[in-house]
Amino acid sequence: MSLLQLDQATIKFGGLIAVNSVSFELKKGDLFGLIGPNGAGKTTCFNLITGVYKPTSGKITFDGKEIGGTPANKIANLGIARTFQNIRLFKSLSVLENVVVGGFLRHKTPLISALAYMPNVIKETESLKAEAMELLKIVNLDKVADVRSADLSYGMQRRLEIARAMATQPKLLLLDEPAAGMNPQEKEELNAMVKHIRDEVGLTVLLIEHDMRFVMSLCERIVVLDAGKEIAAGPPDAIRSDPKVIAAYLGEAV
Amino acid sequence: MKFWGVRLASILGAVAFCFLLEGVAQGQSSFVQRLFVLAGLYVTLAVSLNLINGITGQFSIGHAAFYQVGAYTAGFCASRFFAQLNLPPAAWLLLMMITSAITAGLAGLLVGLPSLRLKGDYLAIVTLGFGEIIRIFAQNQEALGGAYGLTVAPKIQYVWAAWLLAILCIAVCRNLLRTAHGLPFLAVREDEIASSAMGVNVTQTKVVAFVLGSMFAGAAGAILAHFESFVSPPMFTMDVSFTIVTMVVLGGTGSITGSVLAAILLFYLPEKMRDFTNIPLSGVAAAFVAISAAVFAIRWVMQNFHGSAKDRAIRYLGIVVGALVIWFISKALLGNVPSLKENIDGSKLRMVVFSVTLVVLMLLRPQGMLGHHEFSWDWVRSKFGKPTIKEATA
Repeated sequence: MSLLQLDQATIKFGGLIAVNSVSFELKKGDLFGLIGPNGAGKTTCFNLITGVYKPTSGKITFDGKEIGGTPANKIANLGIARTFQNIRLFKSLSVLENVVVGGFLRHKTPLISALAYMPNVIKETESLKAEAMELLKIVNLDKVADVRSADLSYGMQRRLEIARAMATQPKLLLLDEPAAGMNPQEKEELNAMVKHIRDEVGLTVLLIEHDMRFVMSLCERIVVLDAGKEIAAGPPDAIRSDPKVIAAYLGEAV
Repeated sequence: MKFWGVRLASILGAVAFCFLLEGVAQGQSSFVQRLFVLAGLYVTLAVSLNLINGITGQFSIGHAAFYQVGAYTAGFCASRFFAQLNLPPAAWLLLMMITSAITAGLAGLLVGLPSLRLKGDYLAIVTLGFGEIIRIFAQNQEALGGAYGLTVAPKIQYVWAAWLLAILCIAVCRNLLRTAHGLPFLAVREDEIASSAMGVNVTQTKVVAFVLGSMFAGAAGAILAHFESFVSPPMFTMDVSFTIVTMVVLGGTGSITGSVLAAILLFYLPEKMRDFTNIPLSGVAAAFVAISAAVFAIRWVMQNFHGSAKDRAIRYLGIVVGALVIWFISKALLGNVPSLKENIDGSKLRMVVFSVTLVVLMLLRPQGMLGHHEFSWDWVRSKFGKPTIKEATA
């Protein structure tokens, strides 16, 4: 069954059509790639799905529910989590605290008991921390749990963003250029990690990436955007040889 | 059971502390009692503003408005209902603190809901404007006494009440930060877009912080009204708001203990200055020279010396001694300048000392006295490169 469906999703900023009638569909358990040259509208597409922007027209359906224009925090509660292209960690918080923020949407105790420091809140805080610690083990950051997140290396910060997104226990994980700025070895590790997240944790993953080798080796299906329009869709092999895609990336043969 | 034992002990400890203060203040002059109460109120105001400015990162500079709403609520109710209800003063004060907290909280909600969608400078301007609106509104309402103000019928001068409120305010903020519930507030300060992507309702979080902070300011206002037995618009000018903001920034935004320390320091320092009389002007001028020299020297060490904390401390100590020497020499030299031969009183120097302290602290420690940290012995130990108590005993 389809988990996420974009149907003619469009957003205009004044005269600019940033995303123009894009339609694609993700099935449960997909590892899906969204690629395209700079300015193609990939991140805007993410922002539409996660409620940062409201689509001008078209429908976005998640898990059978229309979500176009729903506020971002409600979308996170429905089960879509994301990372950001330009890392957006809570810089002065520790690594562990960053992940606990992600898990906090599942809290049950009211704020007033927290202000009175009641035992049930202490217990909940402990269990949220324990859950966060488990996630940090998956992304191999458990050793630096108490470090300020701004003090982590670039690759570690990217992994922490993934852990923080996973802490919301989403059904769908959106990764915005997770491999940007990583060296080949880090990319290998990331590749294995994303596969682990899909196969073992059982999440559906949609990712934006510029590194072609990374996307082609990881994703099973790919959609290509150019100037806001969808120009191709299909498995990696078909995309690789699609003349439109080659033209978009390299320019047309004269 | 251990939990409730600790809880009971800490509550009893807080109450005992408050009544100890009350006991100490009883023997003193009414001026000193006034200082005790106002210090407690300023601690409450600074810590509650820290919840809004420091922890949630919403720069509000209209905190005096909520203080005023609280004070006027108490004043208004006292003139109408105190005689009828015939409550003992302590119960009445408690009732007024709760009532004032509610009205100030409602005022906070009223301002917060529309304006907390704004950010940074814009929010600051709105809160500043709100503060002025409240003050001028009260000034022009006959029912609220107009420019003359309101006389508040029972004069209730409990030192313990002010400090119990301060401790409650500190405890609430500290509890919030000790549990996972505090993290969304900090997350909103750090990054709003990322917070909402993690399921945090950003506007709601800001409004909750704003209302909670306003409620404490309102309760403080109720104590002030009954302590002074009088409220008037000039007691809540922009200066009060700015003093509270200064306390928060000076203490280190987000640090509860920093706000407490800064509130006491900034409140005590100008008051203490009143005690000094007949200060030779040449000595004051010499102090300026010495302080300027010391600030330059300390900044130079901070930028160019990267040794251990101990070595740094030795250098700073040397600078302080050097500054004292400079002070002595320049005092002797300046003593001959005819225009500096006068003597002045400390009360005239209060604001100068206040501003010089701020300038010096901002030059040497722009992140505030404690930065984002809380004061703890572990923090002090870590400054000197020693392991924390937990690590040392493990």
